[in-house]
Amino acid sequence: MKKISKWLILGLLLILTWVLVEHDSFLYQQPVGLVTATKTLSSSDVTDEHGNVDDVHIQQVQIKFLNRSGQIKLENQYTDSQSLSEHYQVGNQVLLTKRSGSWQVVSLKRDSLLAVLLVLLIYLLVVYLRPARASWLLLSMLVNIIIFITALYLDVHIKNINVVALFTITAALLAGISLLMVLGKNRQALITWLATILSTSLALGIMMLVLNLTHHEGVHFETMSYVTQVPAAVFYAQAVIGVLGAVMDESSDIVAGLFGLRRESDQHRFHDYWQGGLSVGREILGTLINVLFMIFIAETIPMVILMLRNNNNWSYILDQIMNLGILQSVVSAIGIVLAVPITSLITAQLLTRGQKYERH
Amino acid sequence: MNAISVLAIILFFLLILIAGRQGLKSFIGLVLNFLVIFLLIILINWQFNPYLVTAILAVVILAIAIYLSSDRITVMNISFKTSLMVVACLMMLAIVVQHFGQLQGFAVENSDELEGLSLNVGIAFGHLAMIVMVISVLGAVAEAAMAITADLFEVIERSPQITVQGLQAQAHTIGQQILGTAINTLFFGMLGANLPLLIWFLRLRYSPALLVNAKLLLMEIMTMLLGMLGILLSIWLASWLVVHTFKNKGRSLIDETDL
Repeated sequence: MKKISKWLILGLLLILTWVLVEHDSFLYQQPVGLVTATKTLSSSDVTDEHGNVDDVHIQQVQIKFLNRSGQIKLENQYTDSQSLSEHYQVGNQVLLTKRSGSWQVVSLKRDSLLAVLLVLLIYLLVVYLRPARASWLLLSMLVNIIIFITALYLDVHIKNINVVALFTITAALLAGISLLMVLGKNRQALITWLATILSTSLALGIMMLVLNLTHHEGVHFETMSYVTQVPAAVFYAQAVIGVLGAVMDESSDIVAGLFGLRRESDQHRFHDYWQGGLSVGREILGTLINVLFMIFIAETIPMVILMLRNNNNWSYILDQIMNLGILQSVVSAIGIVLAVPITSLITAQLLTRGQKYERH
Repeated sequence: MNAISVLAIILFFLLILIAGRQGLKSFIGLVLNFLVIFLLIILINWQFNPYLVTAILAVVILAIAIYLSSDRITVMNISFKTSLMVVACLMMLAIVVQHFGQLQGFAVENSDELEGLSLNVGIAFGHLAMIVMVISVLGAVAEAAMAITADLFEVIERSPQITVQGLQAQAHTIGQQILGTAINTLFFGMLGANLPLLIWFLRLRYSPALLVNAKLLLMEIMTMLLGMLGILLSIWLASWLVVHTFKNKGRSLIDETDL
């Protein structure tokens, strides 16, 4: 009975969130409209120079304003592939703007979907972790987001700021705060933090060394998307943050395992801790490498397919589209592998420090 | 010499040096998964059914990620079973998210990259958005399932007297720790992957209204939220499966684990 009501509450909560956020247009300064009717004005087949066939449609969309009075009609052109265009349907809500006298859709309104998914995740976290611990985890993520946004602001607003240094410091800070909040203010958190920072720096050091020795051969920073500043610097910053999370995950597992070993008996020697750390690390290294690899490669899929359809060959695509994703995956993997001996060494050293004197 | 090949060679030797046979298996797994993603792209490009291709290849990727990462067969079986169920749920959720969010394709922010490319290519980009969401979370789901299952087996091995209730309590304690670190891994990974996009949004002073509605950003946030849900479900289900198997089989569960 209790279980059923738990899921019933979740269902109601999700519906309530959806309904509420669907009616939040009064919060928007810009016009928000609801698509009330659509009519297809014309459809035609197009074949591009590579022989791809797509259908182009022109639709007339009738939109009723939600946060002011009146309604408008506008024409929208879209293709069946919807690669850059969108097909509007009755019931869609859209953000609008008036450019040189005619109304245009700026974006589909997607905030209710975002809210529903957030509520779903938070509710499940609270059920699994219990409210106290869940709020702690959410708080640590919130703090991390605030620090990260502050760093982004500094990057955008201070001219000539050293991007690599900025995001390195940010990453160290983010790791410190996450560990403090998860493990508390103790030796275990400090050791994990040290190991994380060292492994990440070493992996990036190796990357920079190799890039310098090979004179960036085969690396195309200029292919980065959304470039607003020197791409190489942004890439280093990206690499620091990406590597850090996985390395922190691994280091905390190893350190936690070794502290557990010490709780069982304080007679263990350096060698026991070192071997113990290596064996914990080996177990998790493979799956961790896959986590980042999947994130970095999946992102490139739409662009790769677009390039293939435009008759580009694989070697060009690997070079232009997947280049930085592969580089980032490899560097992260190096960081993850290096974290195993580094964390084991530091922990073993610190846990057995002073032991020698007691024995002799 | 090509910088990426040099780094890949360094990675290979480090893996062998530090993890030995295990490291070699991990490296092979990584290469195989890279090839499977190639296959996925090729099949989608040839316009095979995207749902079928994604479902089948997601199973293959999970199998490679899990079975090439450890030596303990029962641990891997439970992790694999868990990951399959969780990814099936997430795929359905991704289809729903794509349906309501219309997160497909490119936006004006991509104009530079799209210059000179034909966009009328006859492939439904809605399907691609679903595929990106599903593939992105595979690693995180497999990792969480492996971590909790391996840890619980460790607990059973070390404590001969453990009862079902005791194991359940351990599962919850360990699960909470793993959840915290695994969510952080995903969170930092996504931040790292999207740094240029986030800087772009700030630099061009996007309004708060756009930040919660814009397609490119929402696609990334949705992928991250799906991943976090995946980690949570994975830990939940794997703990339940281990405890359930232990209840039925008792300690015989761990006899065959070390091959």
